[in-house]
Amino acid sequence: MEFYKILVPVIGTDADEEAMKLACRLAKKNKAKIWAVYVIAVKRALPLDAEIESEIRTAEGILDHIEAVAEEQDCEVDTDLLQAREVAPSIVDEAVEREVDLILMGVTYERRFGQFSLGNVVPYVLKNAPCRVILYHQPTA
Amino acid sequence: MNNSWQPKPGDKIFHPRRIKRYRLRRILGVPALFSAGYGNVGSSIYYALGIVALVAMGATPIVLAIAGLLFIFTALTYAEGTAMLPEAGGSASFARHGFNDLAGFVAGWALMLSYIVTISISAFTIPPYLGYFWEGLKIDPIAGTATSIGIVIFLMIINVIGVKETSFLNIGAAILDITTQVSLVIIGVILILLPNPSVLVQNMFAPGNWPTLPNFILGIALASIAYTGIETMSQLAEETKQPEKRVPRALIMMIFTVLVIFAGISLVSLSAMTPQELASEWSRDPVAGIAASLPIALIRDILKPLIAILAGTILLIATNAGIMGISRLAFSLGNHKLVPPILSRVHPRFKTPYISIILFSIVAILILSPGLFAANVFKNMGTLYAFGSLLAFMFAHASILILRARKPELPRPFKVGWNITIRGRELPISAILGLFATIIIWIIILVTQPYSRWVGIIWMVVGLITYYLYRRKQHMPLT
Repeated sequence: MEFYKILVPVIGTDADEEAMKLACRLAKKNKAKIWAVYVIAVKRALPLDAEIESEIRTAEGILDHIEAVAEEQDCEVDTDLLQAREVAPSIVDEAVEREVDLILMGVTYERRFGQFSLGNVVPYVLKNAPCRVILYHQPTA
Repeated sequence: MNNSWQPKPGDKIFHPRRIKRYRLRRILGVPALFSAGYGNVGSSIYYALGIVALVAMGATPIVLAIAGLLFIFTALTYAEGTAMLPEAGGSASFARHGFNDLAGFVAGWALMLSYIVTISISAFTIPPYLGYFWEGLKIDPIAGTATSIGIVIFLMIINVIGVKETSFLNIGAAILDITTQVSLVIIGVILILLPNPSVLVQNMFAPGNWPTLPNFILGIALASIAYTGIETMSQLAEETKQPEKRVPRALIMMIFTVLVIFAGISLVSLSAMTPQELASEWSRDPVAGIAASLPIALIRDILKPLIAILAGTILLIATNAGIMGISRLAFSLGNHKLVPPILSRVHPRFKTPYISIILFSIVAILILSPGLFAANVFKNMGTLYAFGSLLAFMFAHASILILRARKPELPRPFKVGWNITIRGRELPISAILGLFATIIIWIIILVTQPYSRWVGIIWMVVGLITYYLYRRKQHMPLT
């Protein structure tokens, strides 16, 4: 498998860091391009272009950090901040628009009603992604 | 050389923001847009028919048809405006671009009033439909109005917390709504209208059933309430894929659907009930009145609870759409420095504009509260809605005309046809007619309806004072 364009959606977890390191490793062989995106989900009571200062600050911090992680790996990454109503469709849209051949996502261990849950975003991306998807799961402590 | 550079203490590294205004994911297509719009317009049939019948009596279908013509003009104006300026704000945005900030504020503030009244009316008509399950909700004004107030408070909390609402829910509700309304029209035509068409003629034209001329005109004004969703669709332009193409398409689909369904429902209702029955017993739940008048017991027994549940759900969605619409509008006006920034303040935890949601929900409750004591609050709410919405429509038509004259170079992906040329500028006839009609009807409401006159004027004056003080504090010009 060879990848030339990799999309790494981030939300600020430890798994994101590891996913970015993995993306860098996969990218090295073919000098693939990596994009890291953070999606701000805007509630329907606000216009889509509402600039929510606190959210933007958090997102910028996370993307700064992920850039630093990539730099440590001697790897170049482009970062982007999106605003959308729904996170999952916007990740898929971004993958379509950029014609990526891999989406690499870090997932964390979460429980919902006592069961392990992937949440809403990951299943949607797995179902609708136009390319390969790799999920990176951190070993639980 | 670049590699040897190191920041010195005190140096500030400027990181440009990554966020770009147009890097917003737009996900709505024509079906989702149509559903959101129809969810709003389609919901109004559940109360508009009764509110119009209160004054237009037997002429209700004719009045709705005339208002429908106005609706077409207004929808065309919105289609051109939204395709040209795909941003939140609707007529307020058109007026700001066409005239100046003050006009944008007046249009936006008027629009806010109509949103608030939409919240009140939609909430006010939910209990009568649910009266099928417990009659007290329909006949007891205290129980009914208290329930409506409870619904507004419930939705206010939900919106402050910011529970997700998916497009899927909208699409499902719109499909179920259109299916039920079309079925009701077909069943009504077959079982009520066709067997005895003379009843419809009798109910429309018999002495005592035809309204006086002032009431006829007031009926046209009130009928504007039947077409509340145009603004919603315009507000959603900013999250629609290719809004310049899809918004006009969805608007045209909505015009066609709404006119056909409204014509059918109004004709069937006057075949099933006398105008007096429609204007009294069934004024707040006219569609339930049609279902209750069907001659076959089995169909009646199926449709009555179905309509009670469906109308309740659709009206709940419409009430919620009103709350979301007004908070977005307040935020948009705040962004353009037309209202104080406190209205755009976002809750630190829930990330919703909680102050505007709470404030405008309280105003909606205040408008509802006379319902606890008085019976004629329904008509008053209708005229107050017309006061706000007609003012907003007026600005929309005027802005489209002025933009054609002042900024003919603006790209217009959807351009209204049937133009006349004045001093080398093409002006759409529909916008000219729409502007004159809305001005005349608005003046009639102002002159003949004391409640909406005073409440509407107080609302506008309070807004203008706030605008003046805020702009002065910001050292900004009024225009």
